[in-house]
Amino acid sequence: MRVDTLVENDHQEVHPHRSLKSRLTWLGIGVAGIAALFVVRAVTAETVDAGLPNQLQDLLTLATSVIVESMPFVILGIILSIAVQEWVPDSWILRVLPRNAFARRAVISFLGFFLPVCECGNVPLARGLMVKGFTVSESMTFLLAAPIINPITIATTHAAFGWDGWVLVARLVGGFVIANLVGWLFSRHNDQDSLLTRRFAAECRLPQAHEHGGARIHKSLELFIRETSVIMPALFIGSVVAGAIQVLVPRSVLVTLGSNPLWSILAMLVLAFVISICSNVDAFFILPFASTFMPGSIVTFLVFGPIIDIKMLALLRTTFTTKVLVQLTVIVGLLAALIGLVVNYVA
Amino acid sequence: MSPRFAGLILALTVVVATLWLGATGQLVLYIHPRYVVFTMIMAALALVIGVASFAIPRGHEHDAAANRTSRIISVGALALSAVIAAALVIVPPATLTSATVNTREINSTGVGVEVQSVENATSESSAAFAKFTVRDWASLLAQTSDTAFYSGKPVDVAGFITADETDPTNVFYVSRFVITCCAVDAQPVGVPVYAPNWADDYELDSWVRVTGSFVANPSSASEQPIALEPDTVEPIGTPDEPYLF
Repeated sequence: MRVDTLVENDHQEVHPHRSLKSRLTWLGIGVAGIAALFVVRAVTAETVDAGLPNQLQDLLTLATSVIVESMPFVILGIILSIAVQEWVPDSWILRVLPRNAFARRAVISFLGFFLPVCECGNVPLARGLMVKGFTVSESMTFLLAAPIINPITIATTHAAFGWDGWVLVARLVGGFVIANLVGWLFSRHNDQDSLLTRRFAAECRLPQAHEHGGARIHKSLELFIRETSVIMPALFIGSVVAGAIQVLVPRSVLVTLGSNPLWSILAMLVLAFVISICSNVDAFFILPFASTFMPGSIVTFLVFGPIIDIKMLALLRTTFTTKVLVQLTVIVGLLAALIGLVVNYVA
Repeated sequence: MSPRFAGLILALTVVVATLWLGATGQLVLYIHPRYVVFTMIMAALALVIGVASFAIPRGHEHDAAANRTSRIISVGALALSAVIAAALVIVPPATLTSATVNTREINSTGVGVEVQSVENATSESSAAFAKFTVRDWASLLAQTSDTAFYSGKPVDVAGFITADETDPTNVFYVSRFVITCCAVDAQPVGVPVYAPNWADDYELDSWVRVTGSFVANPSSASEQPIALEPDTVEPIGTPDEPYLF
């Protein structure tokens, strides 16, 4: 029935200025569609016996869990992105930032304190900031730092680890250093636009129309539609791939590597890549592993996971080219491993 | 398909599925209870914004000309997303199964070692032991295999059945998943039960309540030194909160 709705939309003609009546009709269709979804859900829960084989059922359960867990953060990210693009005067964000590129990126690293979303919410927000005038490398610094240096992540990491084994400090310092280093590296690229996907680069070049009154709400909703159309398929695909890998690859392969200072770091990189959970909650996830893995390896997980994982790559691909993502993955992976190694040998 | 609205519809499908799970108390099948309120609030917000977006006039699509390959990929991605979205509202919610226990190795990561300690448990009363979950017992089993410690301690646990890897015919685990964030991080824990040819009477993945006491494992093939010798094994339905948090 969903597909039907999609097809219907496809055949809709474009009327930029539609009458109140047609708006109300569409509103009615929307409400009816949602009501129908609720009915279908309630009915199928009682009547359908999926009878899926265990592995397929678990794949679906795992994918659903990633989607349901990420959804509120994605929505929060989209709402903040809309707020930044439509409701906050340009001067607030851009004018308070220092002119010097290094100082500017350093300050941007702490934006997460005011826009506390985890990494999946960060993608729409970073897109919003770029449209608003951030350079590509600045948005990259924001993308990398904000999921780690924000009050929610700090609180949950502290709740999980306290001040034990430098985990919290190393995570914060590591996140800051990586974000600024990567921002600096990408700022040296000659053609910043070429780092972006063609579709998004085109979006950034669109002139910012000046708003008045009700047009703002209209534009906000327009942005909501546009951002969901980019982010949701990526979230779905990322979640399914993450779920599939977990059904297929035995976890024990990773855990047996836990006590070796080098191998345990590689195992944590792979685990962080596969597990794809948000930075706001990943400390709780990794806590049970603290007894089998060395503290530096835990730090590697907590630094790498928020920035790079399967779901994040799918989300980032909406904005950056594949080449940039490969470079980003390699650089962040090496740096995260280095930080973990240092903690392993020092702490 | 129109990608422009696909995202909105995908988002609303997740939102509907989430709100329904929350309303029927089943959101805990996917996420830890501490995130339920936040998730429900954001879902409700998304529902309101999503509905409102239907009412705005449709503008022109400023789509950059995409090449053929990338168009095929995006159509494929959309089709796969549509399948998942359909599954979200059609397939009834379910818990993880023994398939995931197998890939994650039961009691493997030291989950819950800190839950119970041998010293504290020595002085507990029988009534307290009767309330121990499989996680409590699993944490004790990981610490000591001294049969004297377990004698006189009544066991009453519930969980689903998974087969012991080393002696699947005669030993099964009463198992549960422990969740710290969401179902993705579920860690299986369980206690071994010695019941020769258990598969004749009970099904893999079915839920049971087992009472009995721990003894030296009679199975010579199993790697577990201690196993639960059951007095009763009673089939039960899936509990409302199948996971341990």
